[in-house]
Amino acid sequence: MIAQLRTRCRRLLSDGDVQVVIGYEYCEATGAAHPTFLTDPAQADRLTWNGACHHNLVTYLKRPEIQALGRAAVIVKACDERSLVVLQRESQIDRQRVYVIGVTCAADHTRDKETCRACTTPSPRFADEVIGSPPASSAEAKGADGQDRYAQLDRFMERSTEERLTYWQSELQRCTKCYACRQACPLCYCQRCIVDKNQPICIDPATTTKGNFAWHITRAFHLAGRCVGCDACTNACPAGIDLRLLNQSLSRAAEVNFHFRAGEDLDSAPPIGTYSLQDQESFIR
Amino acid sequence: MTQLHSNLSAADTQREDPPRMIAQPALREAMASWLAAGRAVIGPRRVRTDLVQYQWLTSPDELVTSGFVKPANSIKAAVLPRDETLFTYRGNGKHLKFEPFELPTRPQIVLAARPCDAAALPILDHVFNWDYRDPLYNRRRELTTVISLACQQHDPYCFCTSVGLGPDSERGADAVLVPLEEEAWEVRIITPKGAALLESWTVDCDRRGTAGPGPDPQFDVTHICQKLGYDDDIPWAQLTLRCLGCGACGHNCPTCHCFDIVDQTRRDGGSRVRSWDSCQHAVYSLHASGHNPRPRQGQRQRNRVMHKYRTYPEKFRDVLCTGCGTCGRNCPVDLGVRSVLGEISRRIDSSTVSDEHSSQESCS
Repeated sequence: MIAQLRTRCRRLLSDGDVQVVIGYEYCEATGAAHPTFLTDPAQADRLTWNGACHHNLVTYLKRPEIQALGRAAVIVKACDERSLVVLQRESQIDRQRVYVIGVTCAADHTRDKETCRACTTPSPRFADEVIGSPPASSAEAKGADGQDRYAQLDRFMERSTEERLTYWQSELQRCTKCYACRQACPLCYCQRCIVDKNQPICIDPATTTKGNFAWHITRAFHLAGRCVGCDACTNACPAGIDLRLLNQSLSRAAEVNFHFRAGEDLDSAPPIGTYSLQDQESFIR
Repeated sequence: MTQLHSNLSAADTQREDPPRMIAQPALREAMASWLAAGRAVIGPRRVRTDLVQYQWLTSPDELVTSGFVKPANSIKAAVLPRDETLFTYRGNGKHLKFEPFELPTRPQIVLAARPCDAAALPILDHVFNWDYRDPLYNRRRELTTVISLACQQHDPYCFCTSVGLGPDSERGADAVLVPLEEEAWEVRIITPKGAALLESWTVDCDRRGTAGPGPDPQFDVTHICQKLGYDDDIPWAQLTLRCLGCGACGHNCPTCHCFDIVDQTRRDGGSRVRSWDSCQHAVYSLHASGHNPRPRQGQRQRNRVMHKYRTYPEKFRDVLCTGCGTCGRNCPVDLGVRSVLGEISRRIDSSTVSDEHSSQESCS
């Protein structure tokens, strides 16, 4: 599969279809995989693909440094692809300007057991091409029907309100506001984030309990009905804060109240930005 | 480029005193007594199964001394809190009443700091005593006693030996614990402060402790400092293309010390607070006019490395880096000072290669 991936990317670059391939590379010194940007067909052999490739590369499409390189091919897993769909729905990318190479999840994609176990779509569906076949242990084999998607959230919500408040006070106490969550997120694309606005200050920039709650709750709300659950934020957090719980809570709210799952298809109207006379809340009708 | 300060590579003190030791139970007892006496204790704590961080500890049970390479964060919060009130004010309009900060009074002990974290404190001292003697920083520094714990292991991110430090460096420490056997350490007293705190808890022993071997040196720091400059030919954008622009490196770095100052305003007054900031954020260098002198991430990365290995050395004849590898370990995309400097070092070694592109980027 890696050989196929390299051959294909080499061809895309040599044919001039794209000017840059956004993929993954293995680092011998650290033993970790990291995002890489190929601009020359001769570099194609640097590409790798394995369970350590957890980054959502779609986030690079928003970065001016990458945009400046020209038309991009981006390698996406099924979860990453959903964020691409949201960007397309929100008119943030010109799909014609991006070549999407879907990759099926490697059998060793166990970076995040909770999320990967509940995954129902191990193979991208909207990519320009898909490389690899889904591992035997995918959707059916996992028995995943979406019911256990919120298993972790369910367990968390069984706790009392006081216990949950204590949990978040203790977890967010470690947040230093490095904003790795925001930077890793493909859907945090505001040109100037609300937390960076200082005339006036909208969100207390201090890392006090108040300031941290203000930041994380605001960010979760900005992602309500938009977050695709790729876990890029949780994976990026150097303080090990399980941000997925916040995001999942709002994803479920969108699912329960608006029968909407972000990034699942290109046709459904996103709940934020849609007005309906059938809305169940009277204040908005 | 001036020569770097001699203490960067100076060998640690030759030891002649008979060795003293402390075992885990005595260390825990000592820690309990410090806590009971009202001192704050900051040390490594396992906050998740896969994460050890320096935290303010409330019991000796929280202290962990083995099973990890280095806590994911640094000890700088002990001397430069994440948020610190500079003054408060009451009233509004032209009728304001100012109340200055109160200097802290609580003595604190940093226990089981890694030598690379302890070494950051004398490096920060220069910054906070250069054109302005920062009273809050200096008071916290005076109130702090640092007991470091020599390293037994290292990981691919460690590069202390490349900046003149090592697994049992004494720099910045008041006492160093060096492994003797499982759960027991030789106690090397470095300063009177360390002696006052720890000596009474130690007992005689018949041998010296030994630290782990430490990482192999990875680059020549003097060459790096010389290579960096306003006219360097380092392709910063290309080397750092994957940088996401977060502050995970700077916030966890033991020597990064930049802060932002904001007024937290209420109807009847407010307070002026300084909070950690990172030069990797796009708004860090954004001018009020809207102009940003460092609009691209490669320029911000260059700024960070230049500050550590060119600007600071020019001023203080030392580097603003202890080779702890925290930046690389915390980076969501596995980029850090070590990987960037490693690449620059390879470029120096192969500087005869005329074609820039032929020596392009191995990731390291």
